[in-house]
Amino acid sequence: MNPDPPSADTAAVKSVDVSHRGAFGAILGVASAAVAIGLGHLVAGIVGREASPVIAVGSAAIDLTPEWLKSFAIQTFGERDKTVLLGGIAVVVVLAAVALGVVSVRRRTVGLMGLAVLGMVGVTAALTRPTSNAVDALPSIMGALAGAATLIALHRRLAPAPPHPPTPTAAIGVERRRFLLGGAAALGLAALAGETGQLLSRRFAADASRAAVTIPRPVDPAGSAPAGADLEVEGLSQFYTPNAEFYRVDTALLVPAVRTEDWRLRVHGMVERELLLDFEQLIARDLIERDITLTCVSNEIGGDYVGNARWVGAPLAPLLEEAGVDPAADQLVSRSVDGFTVGTPTAAVTDGRDAMLAVQMNGEPLPLTHGFPVRMLVPGLYGYVSATKWITELELSTFDAFDPYWVRRGWAAQAPIKTQSRIDTPRPLAKVPAGRAVIAGVAWAQRRGIERVEVRIDDEPWREADLSTQDTVDTWRQWRVDWDATDPGSHTLQVRATDATGATQTADRVEPFPDGATGQHQLVVTVT
Amino acid sequence: MRLLSKGHSAMVAGLMVLAIGSAACSSDSSTVAGGATSGDAGAVSNQPFGAACSAVPADGAGSFDGMAQDPVATAASNNTVLSTLVTAVTEAGLVDTLNGTDDITVFAPINDAFAAMDKKTLNAAMADPKGLLTTVLTYHVVAGRLSPADLAGTHDTLEGSTLEVTGSGEDFTVNGSAAVVCGNVQTANATVYLIDGVLMPPDA
Repeated sequence: MNPDPPSADTAAVKSVDVSHRGAFGAILGVASAAVAIGLGHLVAGIVGREASPVIAVGSAAIDLTPEWLKSFAIQTFGERDKTVLLGGIAVVVVLAAVALGVVSVRRRTVGLMGLAVLGMVGVTAALTRPTSNAVDALPSIMGALAGAATLIALHRRLAPAPPHPPTPTAAIGVERRRFLLGGAAALGLAALAGETGQLLSRRFAADASRAAVTIPRPVDPAGSAPAGADLEVEGLSQFYTPNAEFYRVDTALLVPAVRTEDWRLRVHGMVERELLLDFEQLIARDLIERDITLTCVSNEIGGDYVGNARWVGAPLAPLLEEAGVDPAADQLVSRSVDGFTVGTPTAAVTDGRDAMLAVQMNGEPLPLTHGFPVRMLVPGLYGYVSATKWITELELSTFDAFDPYWVRRGWAAQAPIKTQSRIDTPRPLAKVPAGRAVIAGVAWAQRRGIERVEVRIDDEPWREADLSTQDTVDTWRQWRVDWDATDPGSHTLQVRATDATGATQTADRVEPFPDGATGQHQLVVTVT
Repeated sequence: MRLLSKGHSAMVAGLMVLAIGSAACSSDSSTVAGGATSGDAGAVSNQPFGAACSAVPADGAGSFDGMAQDPVATAASNNTVLSTLVTAVTEAGLVDTLNGTDDITVFAPINDAFAAMDKKTLNAAMADPKGLLTTVLTYHVVAGRLSPADLAGTHDTLEGSTLEVTGSGEDFTVNGSAAVVCGNVQTANATVYLIDGVLMPPDA
């Protein structure tokens, strides 16, 4: 920020028609203040919501308001008292910005000082909050600097460059347009920054809400996984996929941030009575705990869009029973807060399997990326037809009447999970030291269960793998084969699984579109 | 004005970082149900180069953006100039292997390269998918993602022997014979250099 030449202030005064000074000054002041506040709110979206100049000053103002005025405000405005307070602050800021802007046309320094004062008020408010720390000063400081930059930039547009010949009337026309465009750009920028900050700060609010959640003990716990469910082979996927490693597939560019306090579930459509539940009501129901392996339809052969977790949630079937489902409603449409839709066969939810509204994943509240506060789960179906995250609506409908999000894009309306198996170790193209090696992986056939896994090395006969103990038919099973890798060179490993109905996974390859990939995972390794 | 535009680009940059950060696991939602691959979106960002790049469609799964979302064998299968290579890779049973290996560089012979190849050698390779064909194909794969800056030099292939890239800038030749016709193409797990000749390992 280079200081302007000393003549700038004077030049500005001369170039602006006195009758326009008020309007230009108002724009100058308001645009600069808006950028300062908007950017401050954006930075607060990163360092912490409470540090936003808007929130910090508002909170400080509430603390400083005399008790009689507070009571008056609550009595007069009720729950809107905070809105009124913020509105009041906004009016004061706008009036101050207009006044400072008008003065700044003549004396730019006054405007810059005004922004400095605004920044200092923000810093003071942010740093005196009970839980503040030093970085909370950043939003106000950076906001004030951005406001100052805006003020200087717009102010320059009021002043013609010194060498220009003095043709005041023509110059003013061009300048006015340049100035107004600059002002509009600044206001647009401020709005964008502020809105982004708002989105980010909602994430903080949801994080705080998640930290405060206590899920009651399930009335129907899963008990510990059976001994031998995890073969504990190096390089093999763990039986329970840690939340941080669990695959995430969704359409949300910005992860929805929903607080439990704000969450509602509406059950409607072809039902006898609509239901509306809040989060407390949901977790007050009889919760179940289940191990369920989720799979994404987009998973390629050998891909990692599959994971197993322990979930706690409210069973769906009793909820639908309370609502009284019309027998003709063959499709359960679920909607997430961002409008994404999923269609599930009603029969799959009510046939006795553990379809649930899950609130807990591997012992902790759902991570935000996995649908906090509530997601749907239906064992045996690919995620895009069952596992709605950030769920907020259940609408009983029919397959004829409604196509959900991915079905509209050509994916199948019905998509049960296909039997699959995967080699986890050795890795493709790995160099395997000659000698005893272990080939290991996972296999899944939710709702049916895995009965057998076989491995083929090159063109040798298929050999049966040792299986981990089955937890439930809805979870994957690990498998291992010991391999005497004595023959140096390149070898092809291939795997296939057979489900409990006796059906063996086909070798025919089809791509994931439109209802899930088939084919047997095979890879090449080198024995050295 | 200068200051304002600086502020603006910083803002835009900030928003881009956000978009990339939160989109690391979600990608082109029109091609993948549920919208995603978990490829490392931020890995390499410089542009493909070379005369043959112009043959690549501007959008869809076969475009550069489309290929960046898919693992390398899947990406190649969406690109018509690589159909012979894809057939060979499928015959050799190398699809999952190539898709499943993190961070590799693939020298991908285009259809013309196979057409120009000695018929006897090609037939011999295709007749022995798990042997000669696998050897030849894995000779086209190098561990690690080679950027154009790292491309020139001698590299160990996954077949075991080495290959040598000469040249600089946007002009490279592999083993003195196969020219890079479109280079630095990004897929979810591999960097691809399209070449106009099939490479033969020294002991094949």
